[in-house]
Formats: sequence, C-alpha cells, structure tokens
Amino acid sequence: MKLSEAGGRRSYFLGKLIRYSLTLFLILSLNFSLPRMMPGDPVVNLLGDEALHNDPEMIEKLRAEFGLDRPMHIQYTDYLRSLSRLDLGYSIHKSHSVADLVAYRLFWTVVLVFPSIVIGALLALLLGSLAGFKSQSRSDLVLTGLALFLYTCPPFLLAMVLVSVFAFHLGLFPLGNLTSGGRTGVEYIADVAWHLFLPVVTLSLLGASYKFLVVRNSVVQLLEEQFVLAARAKGLREMEILTGHVIRNVLPPFISMVALSFGFMVSGALIVEIVFSLNGMGTLVYDAVVARDYPVMQGCFLVLTVSVLAANLIADILYGIADPRIGRTS
Amino acid sequence: MMILHDRKRIPYKVSPLRLTGWLILIFFLLLALLAPFIAPQDPCKTGTPYLPPSPDHLLGTNDIGQDILSELIYASRVSLAIGLLAGFMSIVIGVAVGLLAGYFRGWVEELLLAIGDLVLLIPGLPLMIILAAYLSPSMWNIILVVGLLWWCSTARVVHSRVLQLRNMPFVEAARALGCSDRYIILRHILVNAKEIVYAKFALAVASAMLTEASLSFIGLGDPLNISWGEMIHFAFSRGGFANDMWWWYLPPGLLICASVLGFVLISMEPNSRKFLEL
Repeated sequence: MKLSEAGGRRSYFLGKLIRYSLTLFLILSLNFSLPRMMPGDPVVNLLGDEALHNDPEMIEKLRAEFGLDRPMHIQYTDYLRSLSRLDLGYSIHKSHSVADLVAYRLFWTVVLVFPSIVIGALLALLLGSLAGFKSQSRSDLVLTGLALFLYTCPPFLLAMVLVSVFAFHLGLFPLGNLTSGGRTGVEYIADVAWHLFLPVVTLSLLGASYKFLVVRNSVVQLLEEQFVLAARAKGLREMEILTGHVIRNVLPPFISMVALSFGFMVSGALIVEIVFSLNGMGTLVYDAVVARDYPVMQGCFLVLTVSVLAANLIADILYGIADPRIGRTS
Repeated sequence: MMILHDRKRIPYKVSPLRLTGWLILIFFLLLALLAPFIAPQDPCKTGTPYLPPSPDHLLGTNDIGQDILSELIYASRVSLAIGLLAGFMSIVIGVAVGLLAGYFRGWVEELLLAIGDLVLLIPGLPLMIILAAYLSPSMWNIILVVGLLWWCSTARVVHSRVLQLRNMPFVEAARALGCSDRYIILRHILVNAKEIVYAKFALAVASAMLTEASLSFIGLGDPLNISWGEMIHFAFSRGGFANDMWWWYLPPGLLICASVLGFVLISMEPNSRKFLEL
C-alpha cells in the first residue's frame, strides 16, 4: 500500500516534469524559428530594424557571423549553446547585451507581480466566500457587479483612471517611475513602496476580479451540497460551516487557479508598467515594439515565458506535496 | 426514459442579465452598421488638433485634428469585427479539437489535449506580442494571432461535454443503427453541446476583444483600421493622457468595457445564480 502510493506520487511528478520539459522545448523552438521563418529578412528579424542602416557588405558579414547561411540543425544547436551561456543576443538599438537589460528589468517586474498575486488572491478568497455565502444580498450584488466590471476592464484603462484620479488630480501618489532618487536604506524602501502602491493596487484588483467570481460561484454551489445540510442539522454555526466545511473545499482548486494565473498576471503587469512608466519588462517590451528591436523582444519573450513556466512548475510541485490525495489510486 | 428526459424542452426564459447583454450588443451592432449615418463627421477629415469638447466636436479632436466622436463610432466596426472573427476562429478550432478528442479517445485524445495543455502553459500576451511584431501590422494578422491561441479552454470544455454524451443511449442507438462517425458527431453530439458552444463563443469574443485592446495599446494595431484600443494607444503616446484629455481615452475604454460586458452577460446560464463559467 505504502509502496504503491509512493510510486503513484512519483509518476505524478514525472508526468508534470515531462509536460513542462515539452513546453520549454516548444518555447525555445518557437523563439528560434520565429525570426527565421517569419516574413522579412532574418538578419533584420534577429538584429532589429537598425541593422539595415549598415551597408550591404556589412549585412552579409553579419549574416555569416550569425551563421544564417548554415543548415538549420547546426543553427539550432548553436542557438541552444549560446542560451546555455545566458547569451540572449545584442541590441543594436540600445547598444547593450539583452541579458543585461532583461536581468535588471525582470527584478522590478517580479517586485510588482508577487505582492499583487498574493493580495489579489487573498482579496478574492475573502470577499468571494463572503459574497457567495450571502448570495443575492446587497453586498453580494455590489461586489459581484464591481468584480464583473473589473473583469471586463482592459488593464490599461484601470491603470490610467487610477493614475488620473489619485496621482494627477488628488496628488496622493507619484505619476510614475520607481523612486524619487537620492534616498538610501529604509527611506528608499518606503519611497519605492509609495511609488509601487497604485500599480500593485491596479494589478491586484485585475487579478482578484476573475478569482472572486469563481470563488463566489463555487461557494454558492457548495452551499447546496448535502454535507452543508448535515452540518446545519448538527447545529454548527454558520461561520463554522463556512470556514470549516465550505472554504476547505474551495481551497485546493483555488490554489491551482492562483498558480495558473501567473501568466495572466505577468501579461497584466506588462501593461500596467507601461502606464505607470515603471522600469520593468513591460516598458522594455514597449520600447522594443516601438523601435522594432527584435533581439530585445525575443529575449523578453523567452525570459517571461520561462519564468511563468518555472513558477507554474514550483506551484504544481508544492500542490503535489500538499494534497494527500495525489498518487493514491482511486 | 433517458432519451425522453434529454429531449425535454426547458421553457426558455430570458433572465434580466441576459436581456441586458443582448440590448448592449444590439446597440453596438447598430452603432457599427449605421456608423456613416450616426457619425457627425468624416473620421478621416483633419482639422485643428487637440481641441477640447465643444458643440462642433462633442468629444474634441485628436492629435491630427480628427473628430474623436466620429472616430469612436467608426472604431466600433474594427473592434467588433476583430473580436467576432477571432472569437469565431478560436471556437471553430476549439470545438473541432474537443469533439475529436472526446469522441475518438485513445491516442488522438492524449495528443490533442497535450497540445492544448502546452499552449495553455505559455503566457498569452508575450507570445502574441512577438507574433504580432513579426507579422505586418494589420487587422487580419491580429485576428489570426488571437484566434490561433485562444482555443484551448474551449477544447477542454467541449471535450468534457462530449465525454458525457458519447456513452448516452441515444448515441449508442445511432451507432447500432450503423450511422457513420461523422453523422453522429455532427447530428447528435454537436447539437447537444450547442449551449456550451454558444456560451463559449460569447466568452471567446470577450477575451479576443480584451486581448486585441492590449495588443493595440502596446502599438501593434492596424494603423489603417483604428480600433478602440488603438485610439487609447494614440491618446497615451501622443500626449492625450499626459495632458489629462480624458474625453480622448475614457470613451473608447468604457466602450470596450461595455461591449465585453455585453458578451459576458449573454453567456450566462438562464435561471442560474452563477455568473461565469470559463
């Protein structure tokens, strides 16, 4: 019994690992093949529009240097080899190596995304279960209406409205940027927190809206179950039923939903950063799109997708450890 | 008995939320279709730039002096067309994958669902940004990019519905009568999954419109067919936002919200306290 359980668990993790490796392979291959297959000259697709300012001779030299005249499979192994050295190419537009650019920006995007995921998830769980518990009450209608509105709201619109109201008209928060500069220690951290307050609020609200609706629906559904009736018949208090019986059943799918929302949150963060002009991945992507700076775009795509993938993998492993049912044959 | 039970017609009651959704969508459809008659001016005609709202230009003018209200009305055509076509494309792919996976089981199912899972794991916006950046900026490429990447959740839902249906007595009866797989899938299974497909279509259009708005906001929109998201892009990048010209960026934003809300509302199950099932 004990042995087969361990085996089931192992095969669960193995299955996950295979799935993630395949996705990683898919992402790497996409990143490799897009500039080479898409319409346009691969030299431009790999180096950005500014490569064209060089004379034709130079372009041919670049073509040889990047091995674009060699067979695909050799190009592919070269590509993987340079990735293993964390070489993401060079941006002519920014005259900087892409890996350096991305490393600095990624930190700030993570600083923005993580608090937002946690706050958004807690907000959704708390308000969602309350709204579901008191469904059709006035507070439920208000909260659900609000969540539905936020759900339909494009990220940049919410960000723009919040900046306009709280920073521009009320002057409570800075209009953008990460710091006011010239501070150190605790003061610096407080300053950054003040600058990041509105972006985190925006992203938390966007992340919470959909999760709120799902939690509310599942609570409404669970309240109609027999075990809730039994708990009521036993004379448990309503709060005990909610926390001990209903939320316990909501939690496992909720945790995996939060884990799966990493991609959505990162996508939202890109947009929110652009509006707040924070120096994260979003502004980097935005500048790259405007300048058709393809190496930066590719680097960002690779780093963002791989980080989301890694976050999902960690969440899946934690979930597998936390849920005792996994690995048991039903 | 089972067959009778399944055929039983539930009296169709339109819930007030659904009705609201339909009214919103009819409004936008009329706006888009009758744009030349409603718009006060030619949206391409240029004049004095950056005018504030006035009786002549109810929502002012943009950076090249075009009437924003007329631009807004014409942009509804682009936004709705992209949303509907991309949603339709993703639904066609999703339903086909879901039907095939659910009906044939075995390795077909494994393969199709695995592909869906892989695509689902890649964060959508970064992938769409890089695809759209390599393709030339046109409405059709955006439809293609969004449509090709938004089918996975539809495939999952249709697949699980097909799994419920495929062993029901009426399907077995059809199989016993010697009907072909194609006939059973199209005439029996698809017909019984249609409620889900309609709801998913509405939600796919909503997602497609939001995604298109984000892509256009970043600057990957079609410069010849301005959508609501692209209007906000120009308001943001050409000084409308920095100068607090809310009449430029707020109306297109609210119209995106309203139309997405319309599609979300019509996807709701009637007589249900539930709101969304994505």
